[in-house]
Amino acid sequence: MMDMWNTSLEIAEAKPGIAVFGIGAVEQHSIHLPLGTDWLGVCAVTERVARDLDAFLVPALPFSMSQCQGPMAGTVWLKPKTLAAVVKDVALSLYAQGFRKVLIVNGHGGNFVLEAAIRQFNLGYPDLIVIMPPDFLPGPDDPKILDKGVGIHASEGETSTQLFINGEHVKEARVDYMPPVGREFLDYAFIGYISEKGVWGYPSLGTSEKGERLINYQVKRIVEWARETFDRAENLRAS
Amino acid sequence: MLCDYQNTTFEVKDARPEIAVLPIAATEQHGSHLPVGTMSVVLEAIARRVAEGLSGNVYLLPTMPLGTSGLHRGTAGTIALEWSTLMDVVCDLIESLLAQGIRKVVVIDGLGGASETTVRPRENYIVKTAVRQMNYDHPELDAIWVQPFTVSGADIAEIFQSAETDFHAGEVVTSVMLCLAPEAVKGSGQDFVPQVGKEYLDFVRFRELCPSGVWGRPTLASAEKGERALEAAVRRTVEYIEESFAHLARMKSRVYD
Repeated sequence: MMDMWNTSLEIAEAKPGIAVFGIGAVEQHSIHLPLGTDWLGVCAVTERVARDLDAFLVPALPFSMSQCQGPMAGTVWLKPKTLAAVVKDVALSLYAQGFRKVLIVNGHGGNFVLEAAIRQFNLGYPDLIVIMPPDFLPGPDDPKILDKGVGIHASEGETSTQLFINGEHVKEARVDYMPPVGREFLDYAFIGYISEKGVWGYPSLGTSEKGERLINYQVKRIVEWARETFDRAENLRAS
Repeated sequence: MLCDYQNTTFEVKDARPEIAVLPIAATEQHGSHLPVGTMSVVLEAIARRVAEGLSGNVYLLPTMPLGTSGLHRGTAGTIALEWSTLMDVVCDLIESLLAQGIRKVVVIDGLGGASETTVRPRENYIVKTAVRQMNYDHPELDAIWVQPFTVSGADIAEIFQSAETDFHAGEVVTSVMLCLAPEAVKGSGQDFVPQVGKEYLDFVRFRELCPSGVWGRPTLASAEKGERALEAAVRRTVEYIEESFAHLARMKSRVYD
């Protein structure tokens, strides 16, 4: 595995076949989790994924589409076109140095522009494969780790993950709240209107032990999926 | 008091930071001896110390690890944003800070150097344009940009023998890395100083000008010089920021007929 701590020469000699790029966010995470939750979370996951894939790990982007969490203090965001432009520049920088396989790992649920950005590459560059796992966190197919599921924001999943990777910065107090509306309401209103304390789910159920299992499961699942998908995409394009 | 990404939103709300500090680095080749993340490592260390040194409540953002590294495009490990992308990143972040009531923003834009001035940035040059545009678009905003080794240029020139010809992966940044992360420095690098002016960086790729990926004299580096440079850069950057905001406060309180 190669990363920002290697010299250009070391990376050139190691010739990693895959590059991994994580996208984080700096945004409100209720009363108990740090603003950097998504960024720290995606750093933890991509570091492990890159190690397993023996890939080049691009430093994760700390910022993305968090405007729905604004203007709650400390939240900063990129607009959709800005995020798409960053992803494009990163992928093409990797392409220019010989990478043909790029794995994007999205650490923030609100980055709905990514799918469009990635599709554009795969249609426009026949010898570049850019993939992103369809669902960053385990879905209902793995109910064993979490009691009430991942939740939408600052919930059981994120609280568990942060307790595991960044426990000293997680506060004791928790507010559980399930808004009486669907997640599409984040298309219509800032989160502060939907949930006063910026939470959507059950953070009180979070534990470090669940977080460890969750991270391990995510990493394993992303690595398997990435290997399989790079192979399939390559074969499909060759046929 | 200093807040950062490890605080909760409610802690930042209670602290009511008046100033935000946004460091913009880059991920790019740094010769045969320094890691591609060199600028992030150095800038993060400087930005945190600067944020701690400023008076008032400060919100320090994570260091943006990607910048306009087009000069090094194609070399392993280099990630280059287009100028328009970085401009949008800086503008979006400043506008999100403004939306939560933070009206003073300091962009610490790359490292700069002793042969630069505060008029024109060395790295990530588009940050200047972004900051200027934000100040036009939002009259209530005071955004400034600063490069630590430029505002401490007099000290840097005293500490380093090759300060005037130090542009990339040279004596200055190698010394600072020897001080901050000696295990990440692989050997002493290869000295190279091209016989042209730095405007050539607008015309040709870096490798065409400097085949070893270095413009400067890294073999002269030492951890001791690095430590002195860090101290001077932090001190002078804090002074520059406080002086600049004081000037702006005075100027903007003027009333014209």
